[in-house]
Amino acid sequence: MDPIPVTVLTGYLGAGKTTLLNRILTEQHGRKLAVIENEFGEVGVDNQLVVSGEEELFEMNNGCICCSVRGDLIRILGRLLKRKERLDGILIETTGLANPAPVAQTFFTDDEMRSAFRLDAIVTVVDARHVTRHLEAGDESVKQVAFADVILLNKTDLVEPAELDRLESRLRRINAVAKIHRTRACDLPLDRVVGLGGFNLGRAIDLDPDFMEPEYPFEWAGVYPLPAGDHELVIGDDDDPGHSHDHGECGHDHHHHDRGDPNELDVVVLPVASTEPDEIGRALKQAVGAFSDWEGRVSQSEPLRIGPALNRLVLKEGNGRFRLRPAAAGLHAVFEQRGEAPLHIYAGAELVKPAWQRDFHPAHEHDDKVTSVGIVQPGDLDGNRLNSWVSELLRTRGGDIYRMKGVLSVKGTDKRLVFQGVHMLFDAKFDRPWDGAERVNTLVFIGKNLDRTQLTDGFRTCLA
Amino acid sequence: MNLTKHWAAQLDDYAIDVGWSPGGELLAAASAAGTLRVYSASDGALRHELPGHAAGANCLAFAPTPPLLASGGQDGTVKLWDAGSGQHLKTSELGRGWVEHLAWRPAAENRPTPLLAAACGRRLTLLDLEGSVRHAFSEAAKTISALAWDPKGGAIAEAHFGGIRIWDADDFLLQKSLPYANGIHALAWSPDGRWLVSGNQDPSVHLWIPAEDIELHMSGYEGKVRHLSFDPTSRWLATSGGRDACVWDCAGAGPEGREPAMLPHDAPVCAVSFQGSHGLLATGSSDGTVMLWSPERAQPLRATVRMPSAAARLSWSPGDQFLAIGSEKGAVYVLKCEA
Repeated sequence: MDPIPVTVLTGYLGAGKTTLLNRILTEQHGRKLAVIENEFGEVGVDNQLVVSGEEELFEMNNGCICCSVRGDLIRILGRLLKRKERLDGILIETTGLANPAPVAQTFFTDDEMRSAFRLDAIVTVVDARHVTRHLEAGDESVKQVAFADVILLNKTDLVEPAELDRLESRLRRINAVAKIHRTRACDLPLDRVVGLGGFNLGRAIDLDPDFMEPEYPFEWAGVYPLPAGDHELVIGDDDDPGHSHDHGECGHDHHHHDRGDPNELDVVVLPVASTEPDEIGRALKQAVGAFSDWEGRVSQSEPLRIGPALNRLVLKEGNGRFRLRPAAAGLHAVFEQRGEAPLHIYAGAELVKPAWQRDFHPAHEHDDKVTSVGIVQPGDLDGNRLNSWVSELLRTRGGDIYRMKGVLSVKGTDKRLVFQGVHMLFDAKFDRPWDGAERVNTLVFIGKNLDRTQLTDGFRTCLA
Repeated sequence: MNLTKHWAAQLDDYAIDVGWSPGGELLAAASAAGTLRVYSASDGALRHELPGHAAGANCLAFAPTPPLLASGGQDGTVKLWDAGSGQHLKTSELGRGWVEHLAWRPAAENRPTPLLAAACGRRLTLLDLEGSVRHAFSEAAKTISALAWDPKGGAIAEAHFGGIRIWDADDFLLQKSLPYANGIHALAWSPDGRWLVSGNQDPSVHLWIPAEDIELHMSGYEGKVRHLSFDPTSRWLATSGGRDACVWDCAGAGPEGREPAMLPHDAPVCAVSFQGSHGLLATGSSDGTVMLWSPERAQPLRATVRMPSAAARLSWSPGDQFLAIGSEKGAVYVLKCEA
């Protein structure tokens, strides 16, 4: 019998979990669902099975969270199997402060749990207004994002679009593989939330392509709509009274880190036709090329070269003023080596706001210790070496590795090895054949204090 | 050995519990949906259909004083019924948790008044025949997962994740605390009162001789051990936990160092039950097979029957002539067993 899919809803208090739960329950979807809610009497919908429980941790191994499971869920899920009629799905609502690990680990507890249930997805609802504060406040909120297969960036109506972009990129840094949906009152089609096969081993990992190319030589890019003419590009603290503005509006985070020569800053400026993904992608490639080019030094008050050429701006105490003279009006993408250096463009006295911007290679920013590391590596793996590498890795780093997913190509088999893990527990299965597709290993780690180089190098030692 | 179908009936949902009246005249069955049905044991006639527990039933138990029947449900209550007349007598509200385990104190001459042990969430409560609370014990650290009376009725053991507590049933004091650092699914006390055994999540069985502070650990199971049953001589301990029913020899110093008898099924074993006064063992597996065994024989298998769905419960009638099977699909079968 097919396992029953289970959807886990997490999210800080007030983020909108109950709204989502009520939507799922009231919508006509024709599925017989059971809901396990965290408190008594919050949700009550006719004709649906609602079970209330109280969180009860079973600490399997000296209180280690990696080995803890939810005893209440084992009991309730076991009881839900004792029905003549089969359930089409189960929803588990967790408390706002719940660590998702024990919930996820519950489904690895034993063969019965593994065969009777399938963790379909962990869905995390975040409140766009408060998520920054929640992420700073404690581990739980970060873990809820890190563990998610689906993130609802909710209450978008209460936050500016530019702020949403920033929030999304921050969530993306923590969890590079979750699907992020922007919602107002959790208003999205339910097939984005239930019945996904999100945790399912059979699904290929959909990685954010940006995340998979982490080696950009620049940290920030913005696209500015510029008129033709002679403009000013200002780096550093803008203390010219004629240019007073609120830094909160400039749409560019200012962070301070000490790396490299603080009085040199590499910048590339490229005309672009639009901010469409294809066009941005083309510009990114061109910029990567330009950054590997010989640099041309640009002193104060000199004009930057526009086009695929590297400008090395010479700063004084981290500040500098330069000229920017586009031949024609249009969008211009500015790629900046160090994202934390404040960069402003003025057309006359007017501050120009970027129409699009993005951070790259941002692991050091925000001091989020929880990040994602992705590895894409063509070739076949040696099964034994892979096994011992993963075992050793989880034994020593399992506490810091929250989740791990992968599709791997193992020598000697024509089937894809798909696997996923939660902390020290993991599950691997051979699923469908590669069937002529290129045999590429893709794996992702989400966790705390991950060392990309170490993980990548370790993984490469498993190549056959 | 002759095993024949005596009668069959159908419940509205999964047969979550079945139980015989002390004289064997009635068979009661509880469905997961919550209704209780009382059948005449001789011909399967439905005597009463009782509303039971609206939120779902978990367990039932006939009192040693017929025709009193107790049931426990997900509504946190114990209900008492007159199984003869079909009357609802009393509802005892024990809390928000589920009442998942009920057990009447074994009758003894010096104790004319029966007591019902009921576990609701983390708390064990003793109720009298009127359903009034005689004693509520202190809450366990985690939800109570199994109960077992000492066969003489002097003490009751409650299990939870982390261990077992043994309570004196007369002065209600804690006799012993037996730590066990994992989940416990089942408890059994050998009929001679010597062994107390837990079936565990880890997967293993753990045996204590509480009187001598001796404990043994038997591991090597495929899966968690949810079902235990002693034979009436207290020598054989049958357990689930894999595709074989596993029978340990508990004579003398116990099973340590002895190979258990492995009684093979084609699917995971989901029920084991020894007869109350004879030596036959009934085992059920998830493919719907029910087998009868004489574990001490060289050729232990005595009979095999196949049901359309797996046995959720196996229960021998007083006197061991009939075997009641409650199935996952809600069927109740009563088989007649003739040597």
